Amino acid sequence: MHDSLGVRWVVGLFAGVVWSWSCVGHTLSAGEPQPSQVVAAQVDELVSAELARRGETLAPPVSDEEFLRRAMLDLSGVPPTVSQVVAFSLEPGSDKRVELIRRQLQSEEYARNWARYWRDVIYSRATDARTTRFQGVFERWMTEQLRDGRHWNDIVTELITATGDAQENGATALLVAHGGNAQEIAAETSRIFLGIQIQCANCHDHPTDQWKRADFHELAAYFPRVVFRQVMDGDRRTFEVSSMAPTPARFAGQMANRGVDPERLLRGLDRNGDGKITREEAAGSPLAAAFERFLAIGDKDGDNALSADEIKALPTMPMPQFPGRGSPEYLMPDLNDPSSRGTRVDPVFFVSKSKAPAELGDIERRYLLASEIVDPSNEWFARAYVNRIWTELIGAGFYMPIDDIGPERTAEFAAVLDLLADQFVAHDHDMRWLFETLAQTGIYQRSLRAGTSAGFAASIPVRLRGDAVYEALARALGFEADQNSGFGLRQPGNFRGTRLPRGQVTQTFGFDPSTPQDDLTGTIPQALFLMNSPIVEQAIQAEGRGVLARVLRRFSKDEDVVRELYLTVLSREPSAEETSTARNYLAEVSDRNEAFEDLYWALLNSSEFLNRR
Amino acid sequence: MSTSLHQNVTLTPRGFTRRSFLHTVSAGAAAAGMLTFRDLMSLQADELRRQGRAIILLWMNGGPSQLETFDPKPGTDNGGPTQAIETNVPGIHIAEHWEKTARIANELTFIRSMTNKEGNHQRATYQLHTGYVPSGSVKHPSLAANLARQLEDAEFDLPSVVSVGRPMPGASAGYLGLDYEPFVVDRAGQLPQDVAVRVNEDRYARRLKLLGRVEDGFAREGAAAVVESHQKLYGKAARMVLSSNIGAFQFDNEPADVRAAYGESEFGRGCLLARRLVETGVTFVEVISRNWDTHDDNFNRSAQLSRGVDPGMAALISDLRQRGLLDKTLVVWMGEFGRTPRINPRTGRDHFPRAFSAVMAGAGVKGGQVIGKTSADGNAVVDQPVNVGDLFASICHALRVDPASETISPLGRPMKIVEEGTIVPGLFA
Repeated sequence: MHDSLGVRWVVGLFAGVVWSWSCVGHTLSAGEPQPSQVVAAQVDELVSAELARRGETLAPPVSDEEFLRRAMLDLSGVPPTVSQVVAFSLEPGSDKRVELIRRQLQSEEYARNWARYWRDVIYSRATDARTTRFQGVFERWMTEQLRDGRHWNDIVTELITATGDAQENGATALLVAHGGNAQEIAAETSRIFLGIQIQCANCHDHPTDQWKRADFHELAAYFPRVVFRQVMDGDRRTFEVSSMAPTPARFAGQMANRGVDPERLLRGLDRNGDGKITREEAAGSPLAAAFERFLAIGDKDGDNALSADEIKALPTMPMPQFPGRGSPEYLMPDLNDPSSRGTRVDPVFFVSKSKAPAELGDIERRYLLASEIVDPSNEWFARAYVNRIWTELIGAGFYMPIDDIGPERTAEFAAVLDLLADQFVAHDHDMRWLFETLAQTGIYQRSLRAGTSAGFAASIPVRLRGDAVYEALARALGFEADQNSGFGLRQPGNFRGTRLPRGQVTQTFGFDPSTPQDDLTGTIPQALFLMNSPIVEQAIQAEGRGVLARVLRRFSKDEDVVRELYLTVLSREPSAEETSTARNYLAEVSDRNEAFEDLYWALLNSSEFLNRR
Repeated sequence: MSTSLHQNVTLTPRGFTRRSFLHTVSAGAAAAGMLTFRDLMSLQADELRRQGRAIILLWMNGGPSQLETFDPKPGTDNGGPTQAIETNVPGIHIAEHWEKTARIANELTFIRSMTNKEGNHQRATYQLHTGYVPSGSVKHPSLAANLARQLEDAEFDLPSVVSVGRPMPGASAGYLGLDYEPFVVDRAGQLPQDVAVRVNEDRYARRLKLLGRVEDGFAREGAAAVVESHQKLYGKAARMVLSSNIGAFQFDNEPADVRAAYGESEFGRGCLLARRLVETGVTFVEVISRNWDTHDDNFNRSAQLSRGVDPGMAALISDLRQRGLLDKTLVVWMGEFGRTPRINPRTGRDHFPRAFSAVMAGAGVKGGQVIGKTSADGNAVVDQPVNVGDLFASICHALRVDPASETISPLGRPMKIVEEGTIVPGLFA
């Protein structure tokens, strides 16, 4: 029994590994990968057909300037500068929007923006408040992954299987944020990566959903051997994620005992096809933890790599006689007697129902789970990601809330989700590909429309996240990066001037990105900050070194000043009506400088400033 | 109908007169044309009972030692050097550092039998603020948010929940949303950050009007809902900024002797602010005293911390009594857990949730009594254990809020204010 399971595990595990590294041997049900513009066109066809069925039409396309602010804020988290707005409007060529999208996706801002997004997804729900100081470590790590174009399946695999110092390895974020607690990690793994709120089954069988209490605890059973502890390193206090059982020896033993075929292992990991596995090739694989040890014992020719023969010749370690002894098993609490020890539960992945052999160590368990989660046969993985990104870009989801997609839920525009999820898998979970596709669709590029529109027919304003508000404020108030300081931006030439404190702004305007748009109504401190803070009031002065002062020096005609203010704050020109509103206000107020300060203030305090339209 | 009556009645949140009450009712009844005075009375009975109820939480962050506060064990190994003093209630002794509080013990119930399981600061703090242990899947509303939701007066123009000092884990309104988020005051006695208007009020009003006009276009083009909720928020913020009640945050007109009685400390000023806010109509104020995590040098540190809290706490309760506010204002003193009776090698005490103390006063709580008892060595509760649910149910009772009333979490799960708990027997007069 154990043996046959074990073999299935090893084969399954390496199938997973092989698949995620080189796409060999995977069994995709998905279609062939199509270019982004082809899929975008198919999406639009499906959307239009569905809208027509509902007696609705898509709102007309947005103007260039509106598209520019939308795409830049959505993809890179920064609004365009005045000169970018002007240049983009004047730029000829029918491909300029696609080119803009591609440029954004290659930018450092894109990587940082979405790294911050995932930082907030993970840390907004942290249950161990001591660990929120590691948010920056995750942000840096995730920025690298996005910059390098790593795919979602690989990133998720790392997040689930990470070990190491919380201060050094950002991939530990999910485990760290929950203090290594198996139940919380399981709940968040399912919510974030699968869109399934299986933790509802923590205490009771969910009345309607197909998954039961045992399913949740069997998921948690993948994590009981995660060790999370505080480490003192001189004066430095940090936290470390490690595994309860020493994995290399166990792994070696299991590999040998299960008769893993070294040739197969080699094929899976040997990316450059030189017949050897190097440290780099092993990185991130189940072999990584044991690699140094294997190398020390098995590298006969001293080339710092392992050939198939060298792997075959590795000494084997017998399996422990009593599997699981010495390392705790997951215990499911007894609801009738909460203080009792509970019942031992072994890991089973609730979607595929595949089990992990109980004797597996921590890393192997987590690897096995990761490979089950990212496996193309697990449709939830791609659907959860596509639904999330679609919601962020389109303003409403196939499923809402964003992280509750099943199983007893019905998708809006289901055919569109099916197509996108299918193609996302066909593109091997390439995040840039999905962004590029969505941003090219007509539905993404539709405009606002008065009144209520069914479905996604008209553009839906999307609230800027804390970091984007910071960037937007910095641009609107003319703050610039100060090379010598990480503490915030200041106005150029104003060396004693106030800084725009990033921490304060992102904290005041930040929110959990999994919150539905409808619930994001702003907070009193946000309003007070924009209305009354000395920083804003000082920065909008008509005299001195601020933006308005510069604009007033440069332009003498009122309309030009109004236009510059709109461009600076909202990245667009004012409508004729808005210009006349401004003109009337100027006429009402005797002091011209005051009137422009007030207009500047009103634009900064408008809902349009805090949303992208 | 019922709403209009309620709003009329709450016009003066702390003590409407009988006359204005009758006047209001007769007007309301006339408008209804058919309801008798008695009908209206029963219709509004619940709300009337709750009128003007408020709560002040004195939070001892870090976990205060019960042995150095309200459950001293002088002359025992575990008791350490801390002496006990008499209070103005014969037979009740508290730790020596609480001289002023000892003189108002007739107003207080000392609960010496608090018991819980959470020994981690964050988790216990969250639990003692929400009634629930933290979970990644739902951000529980604080008890404060739940109470404010039940007790607040919709017309009141200051925030209904105020935290003096950076809010604690679990103090957030969770899914109940922005109306019940704690409004943070960094320095008691001064106008909070960004509340002071930077331009004159005429110009401020003019700006707000211009903002409305600037928003028009966006609303008409298809963002009507966004603009509407934004304007609602700005209306609320502006009402607060321009409110005649905003002076409650400043102590300018507070006599010097009153300020002195509360003590010249952050905590003392926080207590004075709490009294002023409650008097104005705020439902929940939390005043935080920090650094009670005395793993080392427990006796000196606890003595010093106690002397910082004692005057503010005593002055607050006397002042509330004097002003006739104590009958409807509940004051709760507590921290996230207690500390180990055994003294560690660094003359400190470590985390101890098994047996600790809390103090309550006002809003019907019986004064001058002790509830529960710990063993001679302090290691166990030996009489009338009170858990977090029981404490929370009792707080709800004091404020006339049903602890079993439910809110719906974002995932559609009904959540009671207090999941499980019984009112502490004997707590109320």
